[in-house]
Amino acid sequence: MTPPTQKTKQFIHFDPRTKIILLILSMIIATTVPSLLFECVLIMFIAIFGLLCKKIRYSLIGTTVFMALYLFTVFYLQNSTGTMHTMFTAWLSLVFKVYPCGMLAGIAVSTTRVNEFLSAMSKAHIPKKIVIPFAVMMRYIPTIREDWHYIKDAMRLRDVSPSLKGFIKNPGMTIECVYVPLLMAASKAADELSIAAVTRGIENIRPRTCLVQIHFRIRDILVISCFLTLLIVGLFL
Amino acid sequence: MSNQVQNKKGLTVKDLIIMGVFAALLTVCSMIGGVFFAITPTLTFYFSIGAALLPGPVFLLLLAKVPKRWALTIIGAIVAVLSLVLGMHWAMCLGGLIGAALADVIAGTKKYRSKKMNILAYIVYSFGPTGTYFAYFINPQAWASTMLENGTTQDYITAMDSAANWRVLAVMIVGTILVAWISGFVGSKLLKKQFEKAGITA
Repeated sequence: MTPPTQKTKQFIHFDPRTKIILLILSMIIATTVPSLLFECVLIMFIAIFGLLCKKIRYSLIGTTVFMALYLFTVFYLQNSTGTMHTMFTAWLSLVFKVYPCGMLAGIAVSTTRVNEFLSAMSKAHIPKKIVIPFAVMMRYIPTIREDWHYIKDAMRLRDVSPSLKGFIKNPGMTIECVYVPLLMAASKAADELSIAAVTRGIENIRPRTCLVQIHFRIRDILVISCFLTLLIVGLFL
Repeated sequence: MSNQVQNKKGLTVKDLIIMGVFAALLTVCSMIGGVFFAITPTLTFYFSIGAALLPGPVFLLLLAKVPKRWALTIIGAIVAVLSLVLGMHWAMCLGGLIGAALADVIAGTKKYRSKKMNILAYIVYSFGPTGTYFAYFINPQAWASTMLENGTTQDYITAMDSAANWRVLAVMIVGTILVAWISGFVGSKLLKKQFEKAGITA
């Protein structure tokens, strides 16, 4: 459904607002989805969107994992019963509900730079008090994982086991060794970020300007209309 | 340093950035604690207990760093929007928002300075994710229908039905209070022992 002219271009830049609209649309599609096969179409759409954003490896892995889950559901769960069946159905149905949005959110977050996001939000007239924490939060979540690996290494170096066994043996020590560096790093990062942001004039009361011009283009409208069609088709199916 | 920050009214940019970083930490902590509970049908009612286990110290340090009105409410709103986008049940998002706003009010009665009030605020905040289950206990039929529309299968609902009764509700409430209190208590100890000495509380 996506026009072939878009595929030939190597790198296509989408408006951050488009990505947000797509996220909302795919959320609605995922909640109103009539069948699993239909969700495959949604995943295909998201994968094409990811390819357009030059996230080739991510889209391929995402699609493969989804297809594996889908095939597992179709071939295994249809003719099994019992407790395991219930457990798997419960788990899989939650996964199928969250997966498309998660995949699209991954693409959107990794392709949007913070300055674009901020100027798109200020164009959409969303107050700064919501936008700034949100932007910082989106950027900080991957950093937590990185920090955690460093903390684990440091703990091993000082003979504190970062596993469950170590926690049971020596709870106070383990709690301190996890939380103190994590929170210290977080507050240091917050301080540095705020200094950097203030020197770049984030407190300026005049309307924000941005070197990267953000506006809806024909491709944004095309992508949004593709997802919108999908939503309408899904509602009437 | 502390006087300087206190004199400024309202939320500064620094506060907003701190809130962003700590909101990320709060979300990740409650996800790690709660994910095993959330995906198992018989344990799904105890999600809030698991989610309350880890974020206590983070929450208290946040209150110590940003002792201002609206900080918690804004964080609640952000987390609610994020989880709504990721496909959670609406009652959980609404519950999170209400819990955060109430916690804001409770901690605000003592100007965010009283340890006891902050721990109480954390306990209230931990009840946010139980919104889904309160929605269930108020009206089981309507709840099942929204969940079924969302793609949860009938089997899951049946398994939940057999697991859900008033005893479960009691365990859920008492367990959440207890776990949140322990987490908050550990947090306040850590705060006193480490962070106040290091001078990173505002």
